[in-house]
Amino acid sequence: MSYFSNITNAVGTLIAGMKVTMGYFVRPREHVTLQYPDEVWPIPTRNIGVGELDAYNTIRSKLTVNIDDCIGCKACERACPVNCIHIDTYKAGPDDDLGITSNGTKKKLLTASFIIDMSECMFCDLCTPPCPEKCITMTPDYQFISNDNLKTDVTPEQRWRDKNLLIYQFSKVSETERQRLKVEAETAARAKAEMMAVKKAAAAKAAEEKAAAAKVAEEKAARAAAEAVAVSKTIQENTKNNTSETLAETNTETVLVSEHGTSAEETTPATDTVTDIPLESISSAVTPEAPSELTADTEVVESPVDHEASTTKESDNG
Amino acid sequence: MIQALANWILSFDILAGLGNPIAWGLSLFVVSALIFAFVAVNAIVLVYFERKVSAFMQVRLGPMRVGKFGSLQTVADALKLLQKEDIIPRSADKILFLIGPWVILVASVVTFAAIPFSDTLLAANMNIGLFYVVSISSIVVLGIVMAGWASNNKWSLYGAMRSAAQIISYEIPVGITLIAVVAVVGSLNLQVIVQAQGGVGNLFHWIPLPLPNWFIFHNPFLFLAAFIYLIGATAEINRTPFDIPESESELVAGFMTEYSGLRWALFFLSEYANATLVAFLVSIVFLGGWQSPFADYAGAQIGFLVITLVAVMWTLYVKAKAQRLSIYPVGISLVITLAAWLFPGFAVWLASPGLFWMLMKVASIIFLLMWFRWTFPRLRVDQLMYVSWKVILPISLVNLMGVAVWMWLTGEIQF
Ligand code: SF4
Ligand code: SF4
Repeated sequence: MSYFSNITNAVGTLIAGMKVTMGYFVRPREHVTLQYPDEVWPIPTRNIGVGELDAYNTIRSKLTVNIDDCIGCKACERACPVNCIHIDTYKAGPDDDLGITSNGTKKKLLTASFIIDMSECMFCDLCTPPCPEKCITMTPDYQFISNDNLKTDVTPEQRWRDKNLLIYQFSKVSETERQRLKVEAETAARAKAEMMAVKKAAAAKAAEEKAAAAKVAEEKAARAAAEAVAVSKTIQENTKNNTSETLAETNTETVLVSEHGTSAEETTPATDTVTDIPLESISSAVTPEAPSELTADTEVVESPVDHEASTTKESDNG
Repeated sequence: MIQALANWILSFDILAGLGNPIAWGLSLFVVSALIFAFVAVNAIVLVYFERKVSAFMQVRLGPMRVGKFGSLQTVADALKLLQKEDIIPRSADKILFLIGPWVILVASVVTFAAIPFSDTLLAANMNIGLFYVVSISSIVVLGIVMAGWASNNKWSLYGAMRSAAQIISYEIPVGITLIAVVAVVGSLNLQVIVQAQGGVGNLFHWIPLPLPNWFIFHNPFLFLAAFIYLIGATAEINRTPFDIPESESELVAGFMTEYSGLRWALFFLSEYANATLVAFLVSIVFLGGWQSPFADYAGAQIGFLVITLVAVMWTLYVKAKAQRLSIYPVGISLVITLAAWLFPGFAVWLASPGLFWMLMKVASIIFLLMWFRWTFPRLRVDQLMYVSWKVILPISLVNLMGVAVWMWLTGEIQF
């Protein structure tokens, strides 16, 4: 009997199942499919950002920068954990007016390049709170297909395929201008580096000569000491220590003198090649690697008299 | 039809010199090409409808982006398949692997030679048409075993073995249900079987409900036989819920696991050709083939009026029960009814037999198969065998006896 009840049960359940599918078949309008590029889910309106300001109360998606308000302080660049913001700024000249932000702050830096690499951004929203001008903000655009941000000729499909198209440049400085600024800065930096190299070379040479002179002086001193020892031995036993001290003092003086003599000759032609660099910049460019030599250098420049005096002294000694 | 085409070719003065054999060969070629074109286009259309039907039944939309409502999606897919690389596994049996899909395709396409599309549209009017169709369509299993064995792959082999076991098991109840019909008609000629179902009569000849003289309404046993045949045929063409030879969740793709590109497309083509063949056979044997369901134009008018009333009642019932209104059944039947009453020519056309009714019936059966496919879960192998040997086969045997007894009682045959 269970055989027949089995069959009737099977037929009954099959018909029930067919009823369900037919019920859905005749109602195709109730579909759950989202025709994605044509339709999108509504963007949630609830507050999911941080902070109280309206700018933060949006869904965390694409970043945008109101570049007119940006003062180029790089606070956002420093805040980003993945280093996907890259800002290049240049100091405004004394007569340049870069305008003021909507907060009334005067802009002192020209933001020549403001790049956000959205392909690396992790939407953590850590870059927006530090901004003093509240000009870097999250937008609800999660599709990355809006054609703002200067890349107007890029279609959504291209942007999905090419990672480089997710790198957004927000600065309004033109590409040629940016190149010019870059070249300028590079030449200045190169000049600085050359300067440093020359100085380093001079310092190294000076150190070498110093060492050579020290050797000579040492030999002299040794000879003198030997003589002195001989003299003292023959004349006076008690004052031996005192004489050796005075001899050492004279040694150091001779070293300094020889150094000055050479370095002054070397540095003058080098400074001729980079005439447009002001003096303060050189002094400010002093690195902590070799402060002693350089301070000695400046002393030389400032006191040529001293130099002559010391040479006479040396000759006297000799 | 081939001879008619040859005669038509020879009727032109310029071509008359060809002679009958050449004209006959030419028309044979044309008819074969037409049948193959029908099968290919049919597969493309059916894949599209299958995807749409499945999508609607699963509250989805289906293909939407290529062409209007995705209508060119399957064309694009077919083009893609043609361009794909035809990979042959290194350890495969090359010859069998290469000819396997072609055997399946040929076996499923040549059966259409005996199918009467309408009273004149018939490639070969055989007196053993039904026998020919059933036997030739069984060759498909040979190709499947070839493909499965030659692939040198466990899944393929399992798929092929299951397929062979399944098709052989279900051949028997299918054959017996068809014999029941043959017992009523007394002929294996498909054209004769269709012609025997013309006109309108009472349901089962004694219930006073005017219905077409189709064999499904001929007697209660044949009514049951139609469904048994549909179930068995579904199993024979490896469609869900009997798709264990290619069950994706167990066997990846069954016997076509190793196939790609064009050869894989051939499997698909033959699968849908077989589904269409089953739909043709059901409509020819049980639903009157190219016969119209209406006896004359008045019958068509009244018939559609009744259909409209039923649709209205059904809509009201659904509205009352489920709080929603579906206007399409009422709308479509109302439009047809009005057209039938206003334009008697339209009613006459509806009442006349022809290709239209054949294709309508085939489409309905194919929709039923799709409906099955997207509703029922797949059977286990042992359940499949249980259904075949313990349920369908006994019922079909009882059916055959019942038909014989019915015929004897009603006096349609005398011993
Ligand atoms: S959201 Fe986070 S990751 Fe993205 S740019 Fe801002 S700080 Fe960097
Ligand atoms: S923190 Fe704000 S103002 Fe400063 S650089 Fe970033 S965007 Fe500009």
